[in-house]
Amino acid sequence: MTAEAMTKRELPQGVGTLTPGWLGFFAVAIIVVLTGLLAYANQLNQGLVVTGLRDLGTVRGAPWSLYVAFDVYFVGVSFAGISTAALIRLFNIEKLKSVARMAELLTVVALLLAALAIMADLGQPLRGIVNLFRYGRPQSPFFGTFALVIAGYLFASLAYLYITSRQDAARLAERPSRLRGLYRVWATGYEDTPAQRHRDRHVTFWLALAILPLLITAHSSLGFVFGLQVGRPGWFGSLQAPAFVVMAGVSGIGHLIILAALVRSALRADRRINLDVFAWLGRLLLVLVFTYLYFTVVEVLTTIYQASAAEQGLSDALLTGRYAWIFWGSIATLLAAAAVLGWMTLTRFWSVGWSVFAGIFVNVAAVGKRYLIVVPSQTHGQLLPYGTGSYSPTWVEFVIIAGLFALGALMIGGFMKIFPIMPMEEGE
Amino acid sequence: MRLIITILMVLAGLTLMAVSYFRLAAPWCATSVSCSDPTLPWAASLVVLGILIAISASIFYTVYRGDE
Repeated sequence: MTAEAMTKRELPQGVGTLTPGWLGFFAVAIIVVLTGLLAYANQLNQGLVVTGLRDLGTVRGAPWSLYVAFDVYFVGVSFAGISTAALIRLFNIEKLKSVARMAELLTVVALLLAALAIMADLGQPLRGIVNLFRYGRPQSPFFGTFALVIAGYLFASLAYLYITSRQDAARLAERPSRLRGLYRVWATGYEDTPAQRHRDRHVTFWLALAILPLLITAHSSLGFVFGLQVGRPGWFGSLQAPAFVVMAGVSGIGHLIILAALVRSALRADRRINLDVFAWLGRLLLVLVFTYLYFTVVEVLTTIYQASAAEQGLSDALLTGRYAWIFWGSIATLLAAAAVLGWMTLTRFWSVGWSVFAGIFVNVAAVGKRYLIVVPSQTHGQLLPYGTGSYSPTWVEFVIIAGLFALGALMIGGFMKIFPIMPMEEGE
Repeated sequence: MRLIITILMVLAGLTLMAVSYFRLAAPWCATSVSCSDPTLPWAASLVVLGILIAISASIFYTVYRGDE
């Protein structure tokens, strides 16, 4: 193909073109984001009293609730994105290369949403940020989570996404389009030479190697935020950190499957995002689901075998009491997903629809399990002689969380309109 | 030159992280109130800065064109 023919071609993968369907999607997402912003403005103006958050003890409430549950959930989703991308680079898994960039993007978006979810939980967000950096104790798992997850992990993911997309940016900068200036800046003088390709392979390999232990540490430190609190039955335990890592993998791979199916459908990319991709991700998800179910069984057996009175009370609330429907609902959805994935693994008949079903179900379970980690230990896990508490989210919290999801969809959709979500092929 | 600067950036980032973590931030003790105060205010942000410098080395390594 001549250089002239190259420059005359349109941008690939629907980049730069807005169809009525996309416009409708953006309109709905923007409306939901704005509604969430209005709800947040209301919360900021009137205080956290408009939410269901209340103090522990005499007020019998839960100061950590839906926002913290979704913070943990979003951080979990971020895990699979960059870990999948890193594994693809480290082990050169050709079949998954088409979803590498969307995995990297998923990580960046999920981490931003996690940061915003925790901001929503703070009555004075600015004071929280400033004091964290001014007085933060690096030994604290709170600081570890913010420094490693938000600073290190997010920045490493952004660096990874940037380095792996420069080649495509340089190719796009050769074509006339309204986005050409952006691509030139993005490419930063990239020249597609063998030396540059060698450097990119080299640096992405080492970055991937650095990211994997970083993300295990980051997710473990988030688990330690709960697992090191000795005075809170249900939280204190050595299984929290590994369980956080495994559940993070479950929700993240589930999300990646859903995103891959949506991109496949939107871009009609059946050839590039083929059934092999879903088979790889599905088998990985199945292993993680079984591991998490094993952790859950161990945790429940340990709790009910010879628990203290406080642990027993919490266990009753989870297994047969107020939170039983969420607990058993989460287990049922995990089992349903495991059954579907197991059946597809055994028969080797992989279906996009059933994979998405499993992805949705594991994410429903992940939200449920995150809620159960955060809330019941505060309402039913008292070592001091306070009565049993309660927590019910208000519409403000639901609308803000919906706004965060819409913002995530908007960021991913927006990215797809300015840059190819799949690495470009030769001649594309 | 590319490799030398990259290694220096990684070492500078790791050193800054280690020094601010073990010497400048709040000391590793729990015996008095002073254990809660950082030796140097904003030491926690220096840990973050160290992480950012170390990771930025990867971008420098691939973007730098001085050797060509």
